[in-house]
Amino acid sequence: MERKEIFEKVVKILTPHVKNQAALASVSDSTHILDDLKVNSARLVDVVLAFEDEFDIEIPDEDVDSVNTVGDCVRLVAEKLG
Amino acid sequence: MPAEALSFRERAQLVIQREVGRLLSPLWVSLVVAAMRFGMGWRIEGLAEARRAYRELWRGSPHGVIVCANHLTMVDSFVIAWALAPAWWYVLHYRSLQWNTPEQENFARTFGMRAAIYVAKCIPVRRGGDRREVGRVLARITWLLSRGEAGLMFPEGGRSRSGRVDAGASTYGVGRIVRALPGLRVLCVYLRGDGQETWSDAPAPGERFRVRVEPLEPKSDHGGLRGSLEVSRQILAKLGEMEREHFDARR
Repeated sequence: MERKEIFEKVVKILTPHVKNQAALASVSDSTHILDDLKVNSARLVDVVLAFEDEFDIEIPDEDVDSVNTVGDCVRLVAEKLG
Repeated sequence: MPAEALSFRERAQLVIQREVGRLLSPLWVSLVVAAMRFGMGWRIEGLAEARRAYRELWRGSPHGVIVCANHLTMVDSFVIAWALAPAWWYVLHYRSLQWNTPEQENFARTFGMRAAIYVAKCIPVRRGGDRREVGRVLARITWLLSRGEAGLMFPEGGRSRSGRVDAGASTYGVGRIVRALPGLRVLCVYLRGDGQETWSDAPAPGERFRVRVEPLEPKSDHGGLRGSLEVSRQILAKLGEMEREHFDARR
């Protein structure tokens, strides 16, 4: 799967949890999920589980610690997809 | 981050923190309990049964105990500790006094506060902060529990804004710790004051609490994050059940 396609799917999964919808207009790899998009930290778990379902991958607990930005999500998913 | 990923320095810091707290425990544990009992005039109903259950669980567990509780005020961890054992017990069995992860914004603002929570077996965390920092705090707690210490976590991740256990609010941290340590005992604690309609900073003076405790063995066939979340949700479901029993008993 192309990186661009992963990015688009990641943003689509994040969108329902985003409180700052205006930030979505300029979303990029460096966009911070909690600080910029204002996603509730408790909902981050649901987001990562949605990645598992969408991309048919399993994400270990400790990998969630590396997720801060949209780019982190894309990199994590790309790694798991091999 | 697995507990074994802690550096020697981090482990040494935790051991030192524990020993400083232990040496000062005859003073600070007694003072905290006295402040709650005589200063605030708080009382707890169900104390004897809760303490018996905690002692039994503690004695039968070589792998430590994690206490999982509902969360209504900023001082819940102190009240819960008091509910589970008398001050002298904690002084004699210091490992059984629970480690806590208070919100940094609330409890680590000044040097005095940081010093107090350092002594009181606390590892501050910034909820919603950098995931790596949160992960390191979880790794520290996991390592401590693996050495037979006790910990206290609030599976909701914060004070219940509705005033009731929010089954949908479960964070995965508790589940992650439980799954990382096979044999770890889980004790669910539901504590609520008669005057506590909803969440607040602190219970009112003269508050009369009621406490319920129940051991739980949460399990999940799933791996990874999904498994941790499932374990956390089982714990929260138990707390929700205990809440219903609490209110049913008061009708």
